[in-house]
Amino acid sequence: MIFSPFKSLKFIGLSIGLLYTSTAIAHDPVFSPGPHVLFKDGIELHLVNKNSKSDNLSQNEQSLAFKYGVTGDWVVGLELPYQPVNNPFSSGKAVGDAILSTKYRFWRDDAPGVQKSAAVFMKLKLDTAGSKSGTDTTDSLVGFAYGYESLDWYRWASFRYRFNQGKTLETIGQLNRGDRWFTDLAMGYRFQINDYREPDTVWLLELNGEFSERNSINGIDISSTGGEQWFVSPGLMWTLRNVAIKAGVQVPIISDLNGNQEETDYRTFLEFEWHI
Amino acid sequence: MRQAIVKSSLKFFTVALFFWITPSFADGSRFEIRADGLACPYCAYGIEKKFMQIKGVKKLDIDLKKGIVIVIGEKDLTFKEEQLKTLFTDSGFTFRKFKKTKIKE
Repeated sequence: MIFSPFKSLKFIGLSIGLLYTSTAIAHDPVFSPGPHVLFKDGIELHLVNKNSKSDNLSQNEQSLAFKYGVTGDWVVGLELPYQPVNNPFSSGKAVGDAILSTKYRFWRDDAPGVQKSAAVFMKLKLDTAGSKSGTDTTDSLVGFAYGYESLDWYRWASFRYRFNQGKTLETIGQLNRGDRWFTDLAMGYRFQINDYREPDTVWLLELNGEFSERNSINGIDISSTGGEQWFVSPGLMWTLRNVAIKAGVQVPIISDLNGNQEETDYRTFLEFEWHI
Repeated sequence: MRQAIVKSSLKFFTVALFFWITPSFADGSRFEIRADGLACPYCAYGIEKKFMQIKGVKKLDIDLKKGIVIVIGEKDLTFKEEQLKTLFTDSGFTFRKFKKTKIKE
């Protein structure tokens, strides 16, 4: 079997697609970020399982994240993914690059049973895992999220931009990885409001758009990279006091990918969250 | 003699029963605190956590429909407006007003 560097690049691209596309916290949507932060001195623990299935490739990734509420409007976090190694012919997994995150809610407008808020956030994917299970780069993401929450209806909107750092590949040359940006609209509905200590369920529906610029090697664009994908994503959030379970599935409705790329069939997301 | 033993036992049980019942009639305080932004129980957990760290607070409940946080505490439990304002800001909500009533627990 001949090792193709371009096939490897495609694999890396798909792997990165799973990485930190979600910056959800607490009562935020499943596949997109919201403006929620954490109470001061609060700790939030996340256990996440993500799946992505395309024509010939199925990927599974777990991650563990800690968040800490510095103030009632500012949260910082650390995430460690456990993901497939960067080898298209291997099914092994390893701890991936550590991700630092922060979110600041700069605006909040409260009324009886209603909260409107907006936040900015940033993520920094460090180069801690090397090339085996990481990207060998330090990438960053910045974004903005708005949210409206009431006792029955929810709605959110967000925008994220990811700056992908380039790197030098020994056998090929200088690889420039195209930046990506994301835009999301989400709504939620709670059919019944229960007492504080009873279970609470919010049903969610999201529209997620992803746009990738082409990668290039030594300044020459790689044809089968970059493009646009849109997903419709039903999901739910179930909570019981300080415990939450979030689940959802992303189904592509538009896939306009450049060249010959494997289109995503679906993605799934399952998360357990605990406020300590 | 036997009658005296029964009388003494009755007295003992009566006194014991009195002391057993008495604490349940102890005075306490009930606070009804109006807060805005209460739209989900999961997010409101921070309020519970903050209140339960305060000495003298015994119980807490949140009525999301009415936007009221109910705190039950010892009779000498007091809050200042500024204290509640900070507590709710740190929890991510907006404090409006509160009312204290004395209760028999």
